[in-house]
Amino acid sequence: MASAFALSCAQRGERTLLIELNVKDKVSSLFGAQHVGTEIVEVDENLYAVNITPAAAMEEYALMILKVKLIYRAVFENRVVRSFLRVIPGLNELVMLGKAYFHVMETNAQGKPVWDKVIIDAPATGHGIFFLQIPSVITSVVGSGLMFDEARRIEELLQDSERTALALVTLPEEMPVNETLMLRDVIRDKLKMPIGCVIANAVYRPLFDDNESAWLDEASKAAEAARAAEAGSVNASLGGLIEAGRFRAGRVRLQQHYIARLEAELDLPMLRVPYYFMDRMSFAIIHEMAADLERQLGPGAPNKSNLTKSVG
Amino acid sequence: MKPSATQSFSKLIANRKVVVCVGSGGVGKTTTSAVIALHAAIEGRKVLVLTIDPARRLANSLGVTELGNDIQQIPLDQFRQIGLEPKGELWAMMLDMKLSFDHLVATYAPDAKTRDEILDNRFYQYFSTSLAGTQEYAASERLHELYMRKEFDLIVLDTPPTSHALDFLEAPNRLADAVSGKALQWMYKPGAMTGRSGLGLFSVGTSYVIKTLGRFTGAQLLNDLSVFLRTFSTLFEGFEQRARKVQSLLLSDKTAFVVVTAPDTLTIEEALYFYERLGTSRLHVGGFVVNRVHPMWVSAARLDAPAEQLSAELQALAKDLPAPAEAIDFDALASRLLENAVQFQLRATQDEHSIALLDEELPGQTPVVTVPYFSLDIHSLEGLDQARRALFE
Repeated sequence: MASAFALSCAQRGERTLLIELNVKDKVSSLFGAQHVGTEIVEVDENLYAVNITPAAAMEEYALMILKVKLIYRAVFENRVVRSFLRVIPGLNELVMLGKAYFHVMETNAQGKPVWDKVIIDAPATGHGIFFLQIPSVITSVVGSGLMFDEARRIEELLQDSERTALALVTLPEEMPVNETLMLRDVIRDKLKMPIGCVIANAVYRPLFDDNESAWLDEASKAAEAARAAEAGSVNASLGGLIEAGRFRAGRVRLQQHYIARLEAELDLPMLRVPYYFMDRMSFAIIHEMAADLERQLGPGAPNKSNLTKSVG
Repeated sequence: MKPSATQSFSKLIANRKVVVCVGSGGVGKTTTSAVIALHAAIEGRKVLVLTIDPARRLANSLGVTELGNDIQQIPLDQFRQIGLEPKGELWAMMLDMKLSFDHLVATYAPDAKTRDEILDNRFYQYFSTSLAGTQEYAASERLHELYMRKEFDLIVLDTPPTSHALDFLEAPNRLADAVSGKALQWMYKPGAMTGRSGLGLFSVGTSYVIKTLGRFTGAQLLNDLSVFLRTFSTLFEGFEQRARKVQSLLLSDKTAFVVVTAPDTLTIEEALYFYERLGTSRLHVGGFVVNRVHPMWVSAARLDAPAEQLSAELQALAKDLPAPAEAIDFDALASRLLENAVQFQLRATQDEHSIALLDEELPGQTPVVTVPYFSLDIHSLEGLDQARRALFE
């Protein structure tokens, strides 16, 4: 989803950076690009990607402050310090956010921002919340020091609705919808971060209206009865076609119920991404998803935010 | 004759005292755990299911408002409505990670003062559920505790969705490492972080290292953290021994792991990776459950038949049916039914393919049971029973 969103931004002409957080690189296979590692690579026109890992971010960050590689080695590659850093809870998350923050603020020689939009593919809900709350946890636990300053800057960026928008990605089904509603509460009440929109993924296109769906239910019963009576008049394979139709109609009804619930309980713009019957995501599908998102966002798309996160 | 997958799976569950469901997020692990527990209870055993998700809807469909951190009984009589004869008992509990960990601290703190020091510590409050593996550790400790009470014939455990199947099992060791590692003991020593203690081992440059670190974190943090870790580590005296007990339960033939997965290729690949990793740790994977498998509704030949033919068949069928509320354009309906069937055919073929891949990779005796994707909501008595029959009959 983050990839499709990033692509739609890039196609609107925005110089876009897509950030994966310490995950097995998925972006490169989608875009048929070279492996996306800890260095920024171009994956499509206007679209760049990077995979932030804690170790690389930590080194970069420490070097930025210490300036001298030798000192970095002495301090951070010390065995004791390493094992110590491993157990400082939340440090990994902080340095990864710190690197993302750096890219958001990054300017070129003319003082213009390097990136029009930075999109972060955030972890799933549970870990995602932990991730987003790290800066505020650190500012409340730690009173001073570079880590404190860093955390406070990141927190300010994340809470600034002029610059940041969170996009909540969900499936229109029972458990994911509950999770999304819970996530919204936490983001709004505890994290106080701006949510831009909610994206319902894998939405079936309705094929049958209520009238047809009711008729298919009747037809299914009749086909079943005919089969039981072994009446030759009904072709056995007709039943399968009808059942597949009823399945579609049933699932569409369920999805509409959950979409209605999301709309009723979340006062947010809602984007819908259609269900794709292909098993593996390909560039063609991402491209189509991007076009679809762009249509829904319209020409007046929320361009003000230069940092977007998808969670879920 | 080779027993069918459902027969082998029934036998597996019937012969175990602990069943652990593992798998990626969003594959229906919680529901599968509940269905396995439900089946065993209907068969006459006294069963406890430990869930991780709040899963309110599942709780509702089982006739209780909410699952809490206390064990509660699920009324099974309601299943008589749908023609079942429950013979045993079903109990359920939701593992609240924070409460479980607090419980652990309360149980193992050497004295009340240490207990309060830990529970009141700011670090503990923020990080007790996110320190490396604490969630999984709390869950496995709780499982062991409940198992030792010997009140239940079977305990079914739903595990947190982890990207690494073994987090759950490695947690005890990793946590022990984190707080008892040699390097860290260095920090527990009073004054270590302010550089005042004469540490033979690190004396050269240590104070410089600490000063530099302090610039990052603030000196106060280092001190607070070392105080916290020092107190916390007192919990872990005898810790390794307990971790070994939990592990020996999980390794014994009383326990079976069930890998729950969805049928798409990526998730199946993850499931196989889980299987492999569990195997290298000598843990017994008893079976696979593949949820949401798209049924093969129509033969390929049928999909090639022209829409006109289908339209004619539908119209013939319509003659015997009550007239629809509004007139139906059967030509249009026929072409959409075909379009729909073609789409699901693609999905069903892909599912079949990835399940075949799974079967190929597994030794013959490991049952792979599939649960079809239902059009009705699984969170209902009928839905749960449909899933139960798919797994066991």
